[in-house]
Amino acid sequence: MSGSVGREPVFPTRQSLGLMKSKLKGAEIGHGLLKRKSEALTKRFRDITRRIDEAKQKMGRVMQIAAFSLAEVSYAVGGDIGYQIQESAKQARFRVRAKQENVSGVLLPHFESYTEEGINDFGLTGLGKGGQQVQRSRETYARAVETLVELASLQTAFVILDEVIKVVNRRVNAIEHVIIPRTENTIKYIISELDEVDREEFYRLKKVSNKKHRDTAAADAEIEAARATEGEKNALEEEETPEAPDVLGEQEDADVIF
Amino acid sequence: MAASAKDRQFLAVIGDEDSVTGLLLAGVGHVTDPPDSQRNFLVVDSKTETSTIEKAFENFTQERKDIAIVLINQHVAERIRHSVDSFADPFPAVLEIPSKDHPYDPEKDSVLKRVRRLFGE
Amino acid sequence: MEGLFFNVNSGYVEGIVRGYRNSLLTGQHYSNLTQCETIDDVKLQLAPAYGDFLAALPPNPSTSALAGKMTDKLVAEFRYLMAQATGSTAKFLEYLTYGYMIDNIALLITGTLHERDTRELLERCHPLGWFETLPVLCVATNIEELYNSVLVETPLAAYFKSSLSHQDLDELNIEIVRNTLYKNYLEDFYNFVNTHPDLQGTPTQEVMSELLEFEADRRAINITLNSFGTELSKQERRKLYPEFGKLYPEGSLMLSRAEDLESVSLAVSISADYKAFFDAVGLTQGSGFGGASEGKSLEDMFYQKEMELSKVVFTRQFTPSVVYAWMRLKEQEIRNVTWIAECIAQHQKERIGNFISVF
Repeated sequence: MSGSVGREPVFPTRQSLGLMKSKLKGAEIGHGLLKRKSEALTKRFRDITRRIDEAKQKMGRVMQIAAFSLAEVSYAVGGDIGYQIQESAKQARFRVRAKQENVSGVLLPHFESYTEEGINDFGLTGLGKGGQQVQRSRETYARAVETLVELASLQTAFVILDEVIKVVNRRVNAIEHVIIPRTENTIKYIISELDEVDREEFYRLKKVSNKKHRDTAAADAEIEAARATEGEKNALEEEETPEAPDVLGEQEDADVIF
Repeated sequence: MAASAKDRQFLAVIGDEDSVTGLLLAGVGHVTDPPDSQRNFLVVDSKTETSTIEKAFENFTQERKDIAIVLINQHVAERIRHSVDSFADPFPAVLEIPSKDHPYDPEKDSVLKRVRRLFGE
Repeated sequence: MEGLFFNVNSGYVEGIVRGYRNSLLTGQHYSNLTQCETIDDVKLQLAPAYGDFLAALPPNPSTSALAGKMTDKLVAEFRYLMAQATGSTAKFLEYLTYGYMIDNIALLITGTLHERDTRELLERCHPLGWFETLPVLCVATNIEELYNSVLVETPLAAYFKSSLSHQDLDELNIEIVRNTLYKNYLEDFYNFVNTHPDLQGTPTQEVMSELLEFEADRRAINITLNSFGTELSKQERRKLYPEFGKLYPEGSLMLSRAEDLESVSLAVSISADYKAFFDAVGLTQGSGFGGASEGKSLEDMFYQKEMELSKVVFTRQFTPSVVYAWMRLKEQEIRNVTWIAECIAQHQKERIGNFISVF
C-alpha cells in the first residue's frame, strides 16, 4: 500500500531528511489530536443520536396527546374552527431564539422557545362555547411545540456534527493513510538514497586506491627497469674489465624496491 | 452561520388542517406585515398540488431567513420526499411530525434514516 | 284544544320526527361502539342507523369524513321536514337554521376581511345554514359592500341592523360579531315562540321557552368564563348576554360584573341547576378550568342537561319543538360518534366513555 502513495518530490539530502522527520513528527501529533477531537465529537454525536431517537418517539406521543386535545375542542365547539384559527393568526406568540454551544471547537445551535407576551390571537375563540377546551388545547399544543423545538435543536446539532465529524475523520484518515506513509516513504527514500551515495563513495574510494596501487606498481617497475639497464651497462663495463664480479660471492645484490 | 441563526425566530408549518390548527393554537402562526402578507403555514389536503407544497417548502427553507424550524407532517413530507431528503442545511431545521391520521413512522424520517445508516442498521 | 288542529298541518312532520328519534343511537349502541377496534368497525356498527350514507366512505375513513357523512344524513332528514312543513311550523324550522347561518356568515366575513377567495369557503359552510343569497356574499370584496348590499338581503339582516354597523364588522373580533348575532337570534327566536299567535299558549311556547332560556344562560355563563383574561371589556361582554333566561336580569348583571370564578358561581347560584353544575365540576373551589381530566367539564354538564331537556320534549305532543330537540340530540349523537371514532383512531381508549347518551 505504501508503494501507492508515492513520495514527496524532494532531493535526498540530509537537510530534507531532517525536514521530513520533523514533518512526520508533526503529522503524528496532529493525527493524535484530531483523532481525539473526532472521538469527543463522535461521543457527543452518539449521545445526540440517541436523544434524537428518544425525542422522536416522545414527539410521537406528545403530538398524539395534542391531536387528541384538538378532538376535545371539536367535540366541545361542535364544529370546525380550523379556518377561523388560520385567519385570525397574525403575530407569532411562540417564537424561538437560537443560542450557540461550543463542543470541541464546534458551534452547535440551540433553539430556545419563548412566548411573546401580550400577543393573543385566539383569546376569544370559542367564546360562545368550547372556550375552555380551546385554552386547554392551546396549552397542550404549546407544550408539544416545546418538545418539537427541543428536537429541532438536537436535529440541527446532528446535521452540523455529522458534517464536522465527516470533515475531521477525513482529515484523520488523510493523515493516517496518506500523509504519514508518504512522509515515511520519503524518509525511507532519502535514507536509501543517502546510503546509495555512501556506497558509491566507498566504491569510488576503493577504485581510486586501486588505481593508485597500480600506478605506483607501474612506476616501480619502470624504476626497476631503469635500474636493470643501468646494471647491464655496468656489467658490460665490468666485462670489459678483467675482474668479473663474483655473482655468487659475498657481494650483496642491491635491494629491489617495489 | 452565527449571524443568520440569530434572526431566525419563527416556526413554519406545512401540514393537514388539524395539525396546522393545533400548532397555530400554540401560537406559532405569523403573518408578515402587508403588503406581501406572507403566512408561515400551509394547509395541505388531498386537493393540494404537490407543486404548491414544493414551493412552500422552498420558500420556508431557502427564501425566508426568519424561519428557524420547519415543521412538516410526515405524510406531506412523503409527497415531496426528494426535496426533504436532499435538504441538508442545518438552518432551518426540518422536522417531520406525525399527524392525527398518520401515526409517526420512524422508518420514513429522513433524519432518522441517516441516524440508522450511521449506525449501520 | 290546541291539539285539535295541529295535526291538520303539522302532524306529519311531528310523526316523522318521532320516527327519526327512534333511530337515535341508544346506550346499547354506544357500548357496542366503544368496543370497536377500528373505524371500519364503527362504520359497521353504525350501518343500521346510517345505512347508505356511510356506504360511500372509503375503508378506514378519517373521523372528519365520518362526521361529515353523519351530518349529511341529518341535513337530508331536516330538508325533508322543511319541505313538508307549512305555516308556523315552517317558520319555526326556519328559525332553527338561522343559528347555522350565523356561523356561515361569520365564516364568510372572516374570509372577506382577509381577502381570501370566498368561493372556496362555500364548501366549508354548514349545509343547514345555507340560504339562497349566501353565494351572493362571495361577490362582495370589501366589508362595506358586504354590509350595505349583501347582508341586508339575508334573513339575518334584522340581527345586523339593530346592533352592528359595517365599521363594527371591520374592527370587532369576529367572535364578538358572531356572539352578538347569536344573542339577537336567540332573543328573536324567544320572542317568536312567545308571541306568534299560532304558538302562543301551546306546548311549543312552554317547551321552547325552557330550552331557549337554558341556551341563553349557557351562552352567558360560557362567555363570561371564556372572556377572563382577554381584551373583552365588561361593557362589551354584557352586550353579548341574551336578555332573557333564568339568570336574567339579576344573574346577568352579576355575571357582567364577575371577574373570577367565584363571582360567576355566585351569580349562577340563583338557579339550582347551574349551581349543581358548578359544584359538581369543582369550579367553586377555584380549581381552575380543569375538571375534564378527572371527570366531566362544565361544557359536558351543559350538554348533558341539554340532552335531558331535549329528551323530555318528546313527552309533549302537538308541537314542532320536537324538531328542535331531535336536532340537538342528533348533533350530540354526531359529536359522540366522532368522539368515539377519534378515541379509537388515536388509541386513547381510556377516555372513550366521555360521551353523553340519554337513551
